[in-house]
Amino acid sequence: MYRVQNITQAYSQAPWRKQLQWIGLFMLALILIAMVAGIYLSVSAQASSAGREIQIMYAEMEEIRRNIEDMESQIAFMTSNTSMEARSQELGFTRVSSEDIFYVVIPGYRKPDQIEIAGSPGVSLPEIPTVSPEYTQSLTDWLSERIFNPASLLVKEVEP
Amino acid sequence: MNSIGSWRYTTLGILLTALAFFIIVQMLRIQLSPQAEALRDKGELYSGTWRTLTPARGQIYDRRGNLLAGNRTVYEVGVVLGEVENPSTIALALNAVVDADYDQVFAAASTEPSGEAVYATLARFVTEDQKQRLDQLSDEMELAYGERGDSNRPSLAGLIFDPRLQRSYPEKDLASNILGFVNWEGEGFFGVEEKFDNELSGFSERVWIPFDPNRVEEFPDVPEGSSLILTIDRVIQAEMEKIVESAMEESGSESATIMVMDPETGDILAAATSPRLDLNEFWRYDEVFEGSTPFNRVVSETYEPGSIFKVLTMAAAMDGGAVKPKTSFLDTGSIEVGGTTIRNWNSGAWGPQDMLGCMQHSLNVCLAWVATQLGANQFYQYMQDFGVGRLTGVDMAGENPGRLKLPGDEDWYEADLGTNSFGQGVAVTPVQMLMAVSALANEGQMIFPRIVLSIIDDGKQYNTSPRISGEPITPKTAQKLTDMLTTSLVVESSSALIEGYTVAGKTGTAEIPTPFGYTSNQTNASFVGWGPVDDPRFVVFVWLEKPTTSPWGSVVAAPVFRQVVERLVVLMNIPNDEMKAQLLEGQ
Repeated sequence: MYRVQNITQAYSQAPWRKQLQWIGLFMLALILIAMVAGIYLSVSAQASSAGREIQIMYAEMEEIRRNIEDMESQIAFMTSNTSMEARSQELGFTRVSSEDIFYVVIPGYRKPDQIEIAGSPGVSLPEIPTVSPEYTQSLTDWLSERIFNPASLLVKEVEP
Repeated sequence: MNSIGSWRYTTLGILLTALAFFIIVQMLRIQLSPQAEALRDKGELYSGTWRTLTPARGQIYDRRGNLLAGNRTVYEVGVVLGEVENPSTIALALNAVVDADYDQVFAAASTEPSGEAVYATLARFVTEDQKQRLDQLSDEMELAYGERGDSNRPSLAGLIFDPRLQRSYPEKDLASNILGFVNWEGEGFFGVEEKFDNELSGFSERVWIPFDPNRVEEFPDVPEGSSLILTIDRVIQAEMEKIVESAMEESGSESATIMVMDPETGDILAAATSPRLDLNEFWRYDEVFEGSTPFNRVVSETYEPGSIFKVLTMAAAMDGGAVKPKTSFLDTGSIEVGGTTIRNWNSGAWGPQDMLGCMQHSLNVCLAWVATQLGANQFYQYMQDFGVGRLTGVDMAGENPGRLKLPGDEDWYEADLGTNSFGQGVAVTPVQMLMAVSALANEGQMIFPRIVLSIIDDGKQYNTSPRISGEPITPKTAQKLTDMLTTSLVVESSSALIEGYTVAGKTGTAEIPTPFGYTSNQTNASFVGWGPVDDPRFVVFVWLEKPTTSPWGSVVAAPVFRQVVERLVVLMNIPNDEMKAQLLEGQ
C-alpha cells in the first residue's frame, strides 16, 4: 500500500503545473473564440459591404433603365416626322411625284415582310450561367460531384 | 479567518446568482410583455420601406419601327420639412419655374416638422429642364447668400427630386386618335392606349426593402409592359393628316376623315381625322374636344353614308342574281317602296339605264328597285354579311357598332328597304365601311381591319395574322363591281381619277337626319375607292362632314381621294400601269 502511494506521488504532476495547464487550455479556448469572433466579424462586415453594394447597384440599374427610356424618347423627338421633314427641306430635298420615280426590277430581291424589333418566340438562346457553381455549391456537393461524376471536370474544360 | 472568508464568498455568490436570475427574469418579462410585441413591430417598420416596383409602360411603334409612344423622366418635387430654411423662396421658385400655386407651396413647405410630418409633396411631373433650372437657382443662391444657418437668407434647402417615368409622344398630335393617351395616374384613355392598357402597363409589385444591408434580397423580376407595333405608317399618316387639314379648309367642312387600308391584310395604314390633340398635353382634352365631339371618329362616330352604300347594294343584288350589269331599268324619276316615294338626287327622270348607268349617275330610284328585286330578307342578310350594324373588332377603344334596322325590329318599315339601298336610314362608322368595301377589293374576301401588327412581350415579338371576316360575295361579283366602278369613274371623267393609274370608286352625298327630318343644305360627302384595280394595294375612305363650298361628294370628296392616291402611289412604291407593264415584260 505504501509502495503504491510512493509510485503515485512519484508520477504526479506538481500543482503549479496543473494550474498552468488549465490556464493554457483556458487561454487556448479564449484565443479560438476570439479567432472565430474575428472571422465572423470580418465575414459579416464583408457581407454588409456587399449587401450595400447590391442596394446601390439596384438603384443604379433603375436609374440606367430610366435613362434608356428617356433617351429613346429624346431620340424619337429628334427624329420625329416633323423634325425630319423640316431637316430634309433645309437640306434642299423636295417632294417627288409618281412621274419622278423610275422603277427597276432587281432579280431575287424580296422586300422584308415585317420589321423585327425583338426576337421571334421560336428562337431562344440557351441560358448562360453568370455565377460559377464553385460559388454556389456546398463542400459536400463538390465532393460528391468529384467522386461520383469525375467526368464533369473534363466536360467543363471543353466548354467555350 | 477561513470561515469568515468562506461566508463572504458564499454571500457574494448568492447575491450575484440572485442578480443574474433577476436580470434573466426581467429580460423574459420584457420580451414577453404585450408592449414588446408592439415595439418589435414598430422596429420592423423602421427597418426598411415598402416600395412599389412599377415596370416601364410598353412602347408603341409604327410599322417601320418609329417610336410613337415612349416614356420620359419627370420628377416629383418635395421638401424634407426639417431641412427647410426659407419656405417663401421655395414657393417663389416653384411658382416661377413650374407655375405652382404660391400659397399652396408656401403652406406645405411651412409645415412644422414632427414625427408624423417629415416630407411634403410640392409639385408633380416636373420636367428635366425645369429641374435643371431649380438646381441652377439653388446653386446661385448658395453662392450669393453664403453658408447655411442664416435664417433669413433666400434658400432652396430641403428641396428634393424623386424621378419617375411618364408617357411621352414624340410625334405629338400625329395619329393621336389611334393612340389615345395616358393620364397622370398611368391609365390609358381612348385608342390603343385604352384597349391594351393592361398589356402596356404590365403589373406592379410591392416589395419590402430592408435598410439593413445584411438582409438585402434579390428584387423580384418585374416584367416590363408589352410593346406594340402598329400597322400604321407614320409617313402615310402624316400625309393623310395634312390632306385632312387642307380638305377641311378648301371645302369648309366641320371635320374630315381619311382612312387607308391594305385590302389583302386588313392593315390600317392611316386613319386621319380631326380634331387632333397633342398627346403630351392631354389635359387640354376638354378644350380641343368641345361638347360631344368624338375623340376618334374612325371608330366612334356613325353617320348615314349615302351613295357609297350603293356599292354594297349593287354587290348584293349581283351576287344574289337579282340583276346583271346589263339589266335594264327605266328610270321614271320616282319609285314607291313601302308607301314612301323615293326620288333621285336631282329629282329628275333618267330614262332607260343599265346597272352601270345606275351606278354612274348614282340613281336612288334604280338602287331602290334593285333592292326590291333582291328582296328584304336577302338584302339585309347581305348587309349583315358585309358587317353593317356590328362591331368590326378593330383594336381601338370606343368602337360604335352603328345601326342597321332589320325586318322584325320594332322600328323597321318596308320603306326602309328603299332608303337603306342608297345609304339612308342606316348608320355606319368609317372603319365598318372600309371593312365592307375590302370585300370588293379582295376578290370577295372581307378582311378584319387590323391596327396591331405585333406584340412584344418578354423580349419576344408575336406577329398577328390577317383574318378573314367572311366572304359575302364571290370573286366574280367583286370583279364585276370593280369593272363597273372603274368604267363609271372614267365615263363621268371623275375628279377622282389619277393619271396613269386605274382605280375604282364611288362618291356619296348624304343628307343629315335631324329631329325634324333630313336637312338639304347640310350633307356628308364621302368617297370610297381602291386601286390599282388589277392588284389592289389600298382601299381609301374619305368623309367630309358638312362641307360648305359644295354639298356634293363628287365635287368635294372625289378630289380628296385623288390627292390621297397621288401621295400613296409614291409612298407605297406603286408604279403606274404603263411602267408596271414594262416591268412585267422585262421579267
